[in-house]
Amino acid sequence: MDTITLAGSLESKLEAATIAGFSQITLWAKDLVGHPRGLASAAQAVRASKLRVNAIQVMRDYEGLSGALHGYKVDTVKEMLKVCDLVNAERLLICSSTSSHGSGDVDRIAADLKKVALLATPLGIAVGYEALSWGRHVSDFMLSWEAVRRANCKNLGVCIDSFHVIANCTLNGTDFESLTEIPGEKIAFVQLSDFLWNAVRSAEERIETARHLRVFPGEGVHSDMLARMIRMIDRAGYRGDWSFEVFNDDYLQMPVSAVAARAWASAKWVASQSARRSVPRDRRMDNRHAAIPGELRAA
Amino acid sequence: MQTSPQNNPLGVNGIEYVEYASSEPIAFGAALETLGFQAVARHRSREIVHFRAGGMNIIVNSHAAHQSGIEGTELIAFALRVRDAASAYSYCVDRGAWPIDAHAGAMELNIPGIAGVGNSTIYFVDRYDEFQIYDVDFKPIPGVNRNNTAVEGMHFFGVVQTIGADRAQEWSDFYRELLDFRILPEGEYFGVLPKGVLLESPCERFYLQLVQPPESTADIDWSERLTRVGFGAVDIPALVSALSERGVRFVEATHVHTSERGAVCYLGGTSFEFVRSHLGGA
Repeated sequence: MDTITLAGSLESKLEAATIAGFSQITLWAKDLVGHPRGLASAAQAVRASKLRVNAIQVMRDYEGLSGALHGYKVDTVKEMLKVCDLVNAERLLICSSTSSHGSGDVDRIAADLKKVALLATPLGIAVGYEALSWGRHVSDFMLSWEAVRRANCKNLGVCIDSFHVIANCTLNGTDFESLTEIPGEKIAFVQLSDFLWNAVRSAEERIETARHLRVFPGEGVHSDMLARMIRMIDRAGYRGDWSFEVFNDDYLQMPVSAVAARAWASAKWVASQSARRSVPRDRRMDNRHAAIPGELRAA
Repeated sequence: MQTSPQNNPLGVNGIEYVEYASSEPIAFGAALETLGFQAVARHRSREIVHFRAGGMNIIVNSHAAHQSGIEGTELIAFALRVRDAASAYSYCVDRGAWPIDAHAGAMELNIPGIAGVGNSTIYFVDRYDEFQIYDVDFKPIPGVNRNNTAVEGMHFFGVVQTIGADRAQEWSDFYRELLDFRILPEGEYFGVLPKGVLLESPCERFYLQLVQPPESTADIDWSERLTRVGFGAVDIPALVSALSERGVRFVEATHVHTSERGAVCYLGGTSFEFVRSHLGGA
């Protein structure tokens, strides 16, 4: 479950996720720093929920910059790492830059990613680098993987967002099968979502869909593709969480309990697609919050 | 050992000092004296004492223990000798180290440092030959011989760091990328505690041992931190004999025995390791 999908206060989002059955959550940094009683209160609410924070999102337009812009972004990423530390988040998510000021030199991008990874190391935080399909220089998973490979840090991996994979396949003809080239241990995180029309017809429609019209896995029209993607990533050895990155304006007008219930149904659908065939644990049935190693976990 | 800038960009050249925070500085100081160290100077403005034995320097910082609420004694820093401290600091910060804010008072030395494991600091010192950094911030204790020799050629050998499960590669990346340490091949180790990952400094005069939690950690309070200093000596039996005469008791347990390879003792609320060393005294 990801707080970006739910309306309302941080506390209501945490409660809805818990009641629905989730034991982990992905947090939108705005939900924490925008808390009406401040960041410390937000962190307290997260800790009190007992939900494991699998990621904080999202650092934007970070890599490839120089001079004052680079320094500014490094300061920003440090603050985000401190927020991660405050709520014991396991990883920070960075999406590829859309900035016209950024260099496309892959070694430079790799060096910037390595810098975040090293900053994150003493804090015990991992870093996931996601290719936005409209990223200026890094726009698909093979490019993000190349930058991660060159950075060569254990706590840095690729974040796969299924929306961008599917959108690129339909719009740009990206070879979906090449996902198998990324070793499972270098996939830091997987974010799943779907949408309700077969093909994205333009770059504008891609952004509009991504930001407002995503749905949960199992609710859209690319279920077969998503299922294959889940199995490919699973077979590659990925043993991390499956999260939902569902930006949807309708869900933001619905009761959080209803949206969280849809998310839980989707989590079961995701679990049923995995080769491991295990279902997500129902937290309501078990007071232990630690995840079982190797279990398919839905977030 | 001469190293080229290509494989030792910072010009790392061993340890200048290690620093402990201690809420029990008198008891810990007595423990250090048992190991052959001598209190040679006190800090001009804070409750900090400088101990020395041969080429080794240990700082015992009660002020830091008070500030951080530390009960007992904790290893909180090590200082690397480098070619240029300011350059080394900038090099590391540019590559992803967290800078440590200096707290130097008026007329005190600002020693640049970066964040290490837990709440520890890695400092950089470039004045260790003709000029001693301690001369600025510390006042000599009257009547003390500042040039005492170490017992049996004892010298700094390394530092042990506990790490989280599956974190060895992450910390190896950290030390490789920032300080150019390299992982020694599996099976190559020193001393009597053959576990963890061993990293060698580019000057080949200092080792970091990364120790992950044992298999059954459910009831063990395990955190990432600097845990122990390792001292080297050419002849461990002779060192053990000399230290035993001074009152040091070495650990004899199921998995830890004093041998020609090394020994371990608990003293002053912390542990020390002694390792047969190929290094000369620093």
